[in-house]
Amino acid sequence: MLILKSVDDLLEHIKEVQNSVKILSNDSLMSMNSFMQKNNLEIDDEIATAFQYQDIITQQLDASLEAIESMRKSIAIFSHAYKSDEDLANGSLLKLQEKLNSALAQAKEKKERFSGKSSGDVAENDEIEFF
Amino acid sequence: MPLVIFVDDSETALASTRMVTNAMPIEVKQYTEATVALAEIKAGMTPDLIITDLNMPVMNGLEFLKELRGVAATSRTPTLMLTTETKTELKQQGKALGLTGWIVKPFNPAQLKQAITRVLRLPA
Repeated sequence: MLILKSVDDLLEHIKEVQNSVKILSNDSLMSMNSFMQKNNLEIDDEIATAFQYQDIITQQLDASLEAIESMRKSIAIFSHAYKSDEDLANGSLLKLQEKLNSALAQAKEKKERFSGKSSGDVAENDEIEFF
Repeated sequence: MPLVIFVDDSETALASTRMVTNAMPIEVKQYTEATVALAEIKAGMTPDLIITDLNMPVMNGLEFLKELRGVAATSRTPTLMLTTETKTELKQQGKALGLTGWIVKPFNPAQLKQAITRVLRLPA
């Protein structure tokens, strides 16, 4: 049980770090944006892409934060079952494994979905599509 | 000048579209929440083009599009989805709701300008 407490503490720490990274990366680019506006600087393709990468970073972090939260909930449910009934806990261990695997699979799927063209998997002619 | 509204929960994404469209002959309004944009539309705002992100908290881009189609003033307003998503299934859902087009992030500034110019039939 102690090991699960350590895993939960680690997940909480990762969550805090990821939230800080999100805020700092957003603040840094918004400062750059403010500087560019004040000085009437024109944007080029590279700067436009850099700003959009921050959006992609945020979406990627949000997807992994969701997975972390899901894993922490599963660990909490298992810990509760373990405390109340050892037999129940044996069944819960399998469920915990399934839930952790499911959370990881969902996070990986979202990583692909939220990468846009930054993944390099999008063909040039898929960039803009009119219906 | 034609009114173009951008809806995206990302401040940096909105900053990039603002910088790209800065010199275009259009009026731009930006919203970080689709519900706020929708409330203004229901209160009388009539955009000529709507460009929205897909993955947003509270109301996502497809839900927003569905709501827009239910408002007389925007039932046929050209709408572009600007998103990291590339799934065909999602594009089909958008198409069924009368979406005009799908742009994958990160967008190329020249291509975004061309898309706006084309939809609004602005002089090239």
